[in-house]
Amino acid sequence: MRQGELVGVVGENGTGKSTLLKILVGLLEPTTGQVELRGSFGYCPQEMVIFESLTVRENFRYFAAAYGLDRTEPSTSYEDAKNDLLRRFHFHEYEDRLVSELSGGTKQKLNVSLALLHSPDVLILDEPYSGFDWETYLHFWEYADELRSRGTSILIVTHFVIDRSKFDRLFALADGVFRCA
Amino acid sequence: MRVGYVKTSCVMTAKELGRNRFALVLLVVIPMLFFTLVSLTTSEHPVAFRLASVSEDTIVQVSARNESLLFIGVAAVGLLSSFLALNLIQRNAAVNRRLILCGFRSSELILAKLSVLLLAVLVISLYVGLLLLVFFRPEHFVNVVLGFVLAGFVHLCYGLLVGTTVKRELEGILLIVLLVNIDAGWLQNPVYYAEAQNKLLIRWLPAYFPSQASIVSAFTDHSIFSSFIGSVAYGALLLIAALLIYWWRMRVVRPR
Repeated sequence: MRQGELVGVVGENGTGKSTLLKILVGLLEPTTGQVELRGSFGYCPQEMVIFESLTVRENFRYFAAAYGLDRTEPSTSYEDAKNDLLRRFHFHEYEDRLVSELSGGTKQKLNVSLALLHSPDVLILDEPYSGFDWETYLHFWEYADELRSRGTSILIVTHFVIDRSKFDRLFALADGVFRCA
Repeated sequence: MRVGYVKTSCVMTAKELGRNRFALVLLVVIPMLFFTLVSLTTSEHPVAFRLASVSEDTIVQVSARNESLLFIGVAAVGLLSSFLALNLIQRNAAVNRRLILCGFRSSELILAKLSVLLLAVLVISLYVGLLLLVFFRPEHFVNVVLGFVLAGFVHLCYGLLVGTTVKRELEGILLIVLLVNIDAGWLQNPVYYAEAQNKLLIRWLPAYFPSQASIVSAFTDHSIFSSFIGSVAYGALLLIAALLIYWWRMRVVRPR
């Protein structure tokens, strides 16, 4: 992937799109080959991988600690990043609510936001907007364009046909083979 | 090991545990229920038994009710501790792995869980000890509570081992209930132990040392040092196994 490039991955259910992303981020070990990465990455899995018994604020804090953001100077940078994501995806009013009390769409907003919190160089997103309403979906793409203009490379697994025109390159995964679509 | 990371994880783990209402209700209700049942179903009839960790010649004679109350106290602490550990290690395993992907180390996450669980074991042991006082006064109350803490420690390590080994909650609960029921809830009872055919097998079970520590403290003036060391060593072995499996299951391959 080149800097600032938006790459899409499509394929039928069960072809291994999510497995591919898991190999890229290191959750699975490849049987052959290797993954090379320059810079930091953010990963949003297809499933809701967030703490249900913590609040939205606490989830942000926990992941900020993982990224080392709460120990960087200036200390306000993490708060700014969090507030920016809450505002962009319109869920700031839920900041102090337990995740278990939120709707599926709002949980997905948090799921995606946790991958964006540390402004990574490469974003790897597995069907990030499933569960989003139309407005949030549009906000997501606005934000994706903004990130690309700042040099962030983005890899997205998608099922939506209408998204295809948005990608710089699109790959299809079928029968274990990765082809330019 | 980065202290700041462990501290953050401790705070979040404590919040997770504190918000688990079902677990909190169990913590309060199970010891009460166990003690009440024992109190209602046993008699003051004296029972005599030999204490395995003291001497074959030392025969202790106490009321059946007091002996059973103490014995069920150990079982209650063991059951609750292993259940809590299982719950904490199995729940959110995928999110914890995501945290590791984002920068945490598995050792930091498990250390935080262990710290919170040890604190919980202290609270449970003290609570069960105080409840025991409602029914009878043991010879050495502080050492009895220490015996409960040791039971909690050994069983929390067992719970961590089960939680890291099996993936599904049902299998984990079954393994915990089976072991605690057979070991702490039956075989370690000194009345049964005295007549057991194969005492060596019973001595190798997790609840042996903590049960001995509690019973010796409650009814005699003997030292519990050997039971203390045995419990810590047993728990440490279980813990090392749990840590290794946790590390293996949570590992991520860092891209080059």
